[in-house]
Amino acid sequence: MLRASRRLLRPGGRTAFFTIHPAPGLSSRRRRRAHRDGPVAVASHLSQRDLLERGGFVDIAETDRTVEFATVARAWIEQRDRHQDQLVEALGEAEFEQRQREARVQLRAIDDGLLRRSLLVAVCPND
Amino acid sequence: MVTREEHETRQRFRDRYGEDRPDALVQIERAVIGADWGADGYTTRRQADQLADALRLAPSVWLLDIGSGRGWPGLYLAASTGCRVVLSDVPLEGLRAAVARAATDRFAGGAVAAVAASARALPYRAGTFDAVVHADVLC
Repeated sequence: MLRASRRLLRPGGRTAFFTIHPAPGLSSRRRRRAHRDGPVAVASHLSQRDLLERGGFVDIAETDRTVEFATVARAWIEQRDRHQDQLVEALGEAEFEQRQREARVQLRAIDDGLLRRSLLVAVCPND
Repeated sequence: MVTREEHETRQRFRDRYGEDRPDALVQIERAVIGADWGADGYTTRRQADQLADALRLAPSVWLLDIGSGRGWPGLYLAASTGCRVVLSDVPLEGLRAAVARAATDRFAGGAVAAVAASARALPYRAGTFDAVVHADVLC
């Protein structure tokens, strides 16, 4: 992903992205749980900042957005529950229950400090 | 080479993007992220606006959205800033929905294109884009 961004950006071009990743400093067991309970797109072992640096990006800025991540994750669960009858009719009960179950597991992982979400901004160097 | 996990995940997204969106999901999306763009992730409208600022989007800018799904946030960024956007993802179903949305909303000024490809296989020359955005995609 970041290699592709580096290649496709013009010199001086900018990339900005949100990424979900395990919290730093987790034990192996808790890291495995973060990957198991998080969304499929949980990022790699290397920090995104490390990956950007390795990719040659400069002016890298990272901000933690985990509080908002938890708020939005909770909101999805609550809103789906509020519209349960309509969603069960549209998606089927099994699908509805599975989505809510996965969402709750993920929210617990966030609340337990296993998962974080960050905003990263970086610039492609002027060659 | 695509791993089995990636293959299964892509199939899951294909299935989800191919669903007709019930009104309830539209209402839920508006309540949760403040927009109606077929999103079901964690990027709110306010955060999308922050992406626009960080990327310095403007009508002259070419933006690449990697893993664009049904068009969030790439289509919204094009609509709100006038930038030109290329949406890219692997599941065709999401791209079809995004292109249909762009046609419906009659994007003025900016241009919208869509390409079905993984990030590794995007068919563009080096240095094509001014800005690249993605949100919680496979890394």
